[in-house]
Amino acid sequence: MNVSRPAKLAALLITATSCFAGHANEPVSFELDVQPILTAAGCNAGACHGKQRGQNGFQLSLLGFDSDFDYQAIVQQARGRRVVHGAPASSLLLQKATATTPHGGGRKIDPASAEYTVLANWIEQGTQRRVTGEPKLSDVRLDNVELSLASGKKQRLSVHASYSDGSIRNVTDRTTFLSNDATVAIVSVDGEVIAGKLPGETAILARYMNHIKVCDVVIPRQQVVAADFYDRLPRNSFIDEMVWSKLRKLGIRPSEPIDDATFLRRAYTDIIGRLPSADEAREFLAIENRNQRRELVDDLLERPEYADHWANQWADLLRPNPYRVGIKAVLNYDNWIRQQFRENVRYDEFVSQLVTAKGSTWTNGPATLYRDRRSPDETTTLISQLFLGVRLECAKCHHHPFERWSQDDFYQFAAFFANVDRKGTGLSPPISGGEETVFASLKGEVRHPVTDEVMSARPLFGSLPPISTNGVRSNEQLEPRELLAGWMRSEGSELLAQTQANRIWAALMGRGIVEPVDDFRSTNPPSNPELIAELGRHFRSSGFDLKDLLRTIVNSNVYSLSSIPNETNVADRQNFSRHYRQRFRAEVMADSMRQITEVDFDFEGMPVGSRASQVWTYRSDSIFLDTFGRPNENQDPPCERTPEATVTQALHLMNGVEIERQIRHDHGYAAKLASGTFSTDKIVEELYLAIYSRYPTKSELAVGARLLAANDPVHRRQSIEDVMWAMINSPEFSIQN
Amino acid sequence: MAWFNNCEGISRRDSLKLGLGGLIAGGLVGGLKARAASPLLNLSRQADACILIWMDGGPSHYETFDPKPDAPLEIRGAYGTVPTKIPGIHFSQHLKRLASLSDKFAVVRSIRHDQGNHGAGNHYMMTGAPPRIPVGCGAFVSFHPSLGSVVAKEVGAPHGIPAYFSMPRMSRSGGPNFLGAKYAPFVVADDPANTAFRVRDVTIPNSLTADRFISRQDFRREIDRMLRINDAAAGDPTLAADEFFQQGLQIINSPEAQAAFNIHAESDAVREAFGRSSFGQRALLARRLVEAGVPFVTLYEGGWDHHRDIFNVMDERMPSFESTLAALIEDLAKRGRLERTLVVALGEFGRTPKVNSRGGRDHWSNAMSVLFAGGGTPGGIVVGATDRLGYAAIDRVVTPENYVSTIYRKMGIDPDKIVHTPEGRPTHLVSEGTAIHELLG
Repeated sequence: MNVSRPAKLAALLITATSCFAGHANEPVSFELDVQPILTAAGCNAGACHGKQRGQNGFQLSLLGFDSDFDYQAIVQQARGRRVVHGAPASSLLLQKATATTPHGGGRKIDPASAEYTVLANWIEQGTQRRVTGEPKLSDVRLDNVELSLASGKKQRLSVHASYSDGSIRNVTDRTTFLSNDATVAIVSVDGEVIAGKLPGETAILARYMNHIKVCDVVIPRQQVVAADFYDRLPRNSFIDEMVWSKLRKLGIRPSEPIDDATFLRRAYTDIIGRLPSADEAREFLAIENRNQRRELVDDLLERPEYADHWANQWADLLRPNPYRVGIKAVLNYDNWIRQQFRENVRYDEFVSQLVTAKGSTWTNGPATLYRDRRSPDETTTLISQLFLGVRLECAKCHHHPFERWSQDDFYQFAAFFANVDRKGTGLSPPISGGEETVFASLKGEVRHPVTDEVMSARPLFGSLPPISTNGVRSNEQLEPRELLAGWMRSEGSELLAQTQANRIWAALMGRGIVEPVDDFRSTNPPSNPELIAELGRHFRSSGFDLKDLLRTIVNSNVYSLSSIPNETNVADRQNFSRHYRQRFRAEVMADSMRQITEVDFDFEGMPVGSRASQVWTYRSDSIFLDTFGRPNENQDPPCERTPEATVTQALHLMNGVEIERQIRHDHGYAAKLASGTFSTDKIVEELYLAIYSRYPTKSELAVGARLLAANDPVHRRQSIEDVMWAMINSPEFSIQN
Repeated sequence: MAWFNNCEGISRRDSLKLGLGGLIAGGLVGGLKARAASPLLNLSRQADACILIWMDGGPSHYETFDPKPDAPLEIRGAYGTVPTKIPGIHFSQHLKRLASLSDKFAVVRSIRHDQGNHGAGNHYMMTGAPPRIPVGCGAFVSFHPSLGSVVAKEVGAPHGIPAYFSMPRMSRSGGPNFLGAKYAPFVVADDPANTAFRVRDVTIPNSLTADRFISRQDFRREIDRMLRINDAAAGDPTLAADEFFQQGLQIINSPEAQAAFNIHAESDAVREAFGRSSFGQRALLARRLVEAGVPFVTLYEGGWDHHRDIFNVMDERMPSFESTLAALIEDLAKRGRLERTLVVALGEFGRTPKVNSRGGRDHWSNAMSVLFAGGGTPGGIVVGATDRLGYAAIDRVVTPENYVSTIYRKMGIDPDKIVHTPEGRPTHLVSEGTAIHELLG
């Protein structure tokens, strides 16, 4: 059998469609022909033979990223039964793929198909690892990278692969197509994009071997908005400019601006994590000053609750498992985080201190990060995701399924932490409560799990030269983590800034410009690329000033849009044409309950009078916080914070004994209102200001007065309590409007 | 709610909308190109509910279901044995009532694993997944969804009743992990043996009259005026809040649901039969809950870590404990519920063969015994065996994966089902989903 026919191969490659080897004597390439077929059929998908330990003893590398591994698995393992050179049809590979032999995954390949023929030919030809003179896949091109389609319209995509010998092949048939949002547009297996019924946008991914290409699809609205409509919208900053510009492109109009009361409630809960008191609300609503909103924002940013509220959100992401680090280190770490927010430490400095932390976990808070994350790979996934928005986790075990990150990238990054060492009490059962000191050792290495090669430290991109962390280094040399922190503040600073800006934006606007907030990649495009770029730039040029970033966003017109949609933007959930309602987080709910009722929660192990935003460990029991969701740092990963509603939440507000106690407490707000000299109308007004941060409407006032009509003091107090209960159990209390 | 793309690139939300959940399991492309039903599994549900009795600390196999009367004294310990209804099979001396009921349940004597500390053992037995990183003995860790959370998600409960109860606390690794807080256990910490006991939140506070509760509803109807954005495309969270509020009211107003929570409705005779201890009354409450449709209840019972003085401690505790367990099985059988209710009792591992110098036994994961009753489990059988001295499971050795898969199979859940982590990584509920076939009947 003649297998070395490069000329023929090249000729084959240029053929446009259905080009795959049809004749038994045309040499078949393992990498260029066989693997793409197995990938397209899903054989090496994560749920099948691509999973970590394979399926029924047959393991392939995920999506075929490791050709040598796959070749060995197919040709050499299972005592060679998978391929039978003399009789391809009796090869287990084909028997299973066609379900001739029972196959858990069913029939993946039709015996009458071209794919089958290619595989059979490859086996017939002796299962060559490489064909002589075989070129390499160098690039993949998607013919459309931007599509604007009217509802219901279709467009076929095609994909071409180019090779090191200059040949080009149409590989559309072997490409996997996926829609990021199938409600906007779907894509068929053969690459036909079909626009959905509603206006919107999404991305279509096309994956051929390890190359992923993206086509952005927009389904614009059909009705035209008057040309000067957008020109006349108010602009306070680049935020307004860029959001309006995006809306203009989509043909949707923003919602109306909100009134002062709605702004007040948003600003308080967003910036300091609680509702305004009735007095604070009354005072703000009485002001008639063009700058009153800006002044309120400036004032709130200086309140002590600001630091707790925002530190609490960061603590969600960093809080270590107390069973791993000891409770004292948890507290110490928490204190340090709060201090950074109190002092408004530059964000890049905050990150740098975490990345380079050393010393005792009992005296230097951030060192606890390295007590919690004990191996370089654990640290790598945390640091890359939290600070750079790059999820490297996948690349730990295999090539990232839709990004360029390989295992090399992962372990080169991990090598920055190779020489992090510790002394003191390690993971000592039962409580690991001891002190530990983190220091930079002169030894330590990270090895590639497949090649066993010792890795040099290298950032994800950029020009920092590779750093050897192996062997003894001189003490004068900067240690690798300091170089990494330096890189994050220089070449990596764009990602550093954008990731944090996006996180803050999401906290204020209900959704990130990139969503999930820490998943920046070309295959997960931002909903407004110009905006996230400019927001990052602004944050960087302000000196990574978190308060300035908050101020900039909250002062924009976009922040002050109503949540009530108009006919053009009701379906918009990513372009910020309206405010996206969301339930307050557990701590905001709890601190608002305390604010309203004037009765403290009893958080186990916390000083009397503590706010929920000051609770520093999940181990401080609170049914309220558990019910409304707080991250349990015993879970790994710990940062699950679900805003979703549950029936247990409804039941807890309805019947929780702690809430009942707050509402009906003898020294509580209801009792105080009942025993005072306020008129019934005045009490209704107070309740609306305290719970909904607004004055009641005329009809609400009438209803409230009727409900509070009881004359005797016992029933009067009871009615006030019941009105309070009714208000708290209505969504206007718990959902930000 | 954040939605993520999984490794096949389609988001979970999309797959729900498109009804593609099943296709993802087979690999999207492959699934679309050629979908063949998996012929290998029969997933007919055997049990509607599972009551998991978690003996935290790790009960000794010697002093429960696997005594070794012929072993030397330092191994067999101070206890004798009692014969069961199964010829040739004996239990340890305190399990008198269970021995006389042995035709109603099965015992597995041959579960064996490699996690000899509490944190790790808990995780392995409660989730079917070994912990990913070394964890200490005192650790509470979670890297994978627990049995209860998976059942809550896959089976659910009627009328919005919480589907996963854990009493009086959550077990160490009994959380939902990446399934999300919605599937966390509903913890009832209060003691049902108290006369003033009520199940928190799902019943009206004791201090509130029913009339006043009704009047509050009226107030709320008049006061609640927040505008609802009814177009589903807008994703307004007030709609879900309304739905859950109504579900909550349904629970309060449903006589069936309220009956489930009202342990005081049981006759004194029944309450006595279960035992007046906290555990006894919790077992009774668990039985009421599963009758009302709750599919998973964990009864957490600490204090089985007998490093010292095991015989005196067992003398104190075991008679009442086994009596409650026997009462639960008998009661379910009498009410015709045992056939559809699975009762499982176990801890994280067994204990060392040699009684130590403090008169106790230490951690030992080479052998452990587990009780399986009801839910289609054949009665009067013993699966597997340890060696002559009880050092290790040697016959029909099964793993925590097999054990967890058995519960899933009985509950009609495919242990090979693929779920996605927040990173989008597909993972099987159990990495090796073979059930213990002897228990499936």
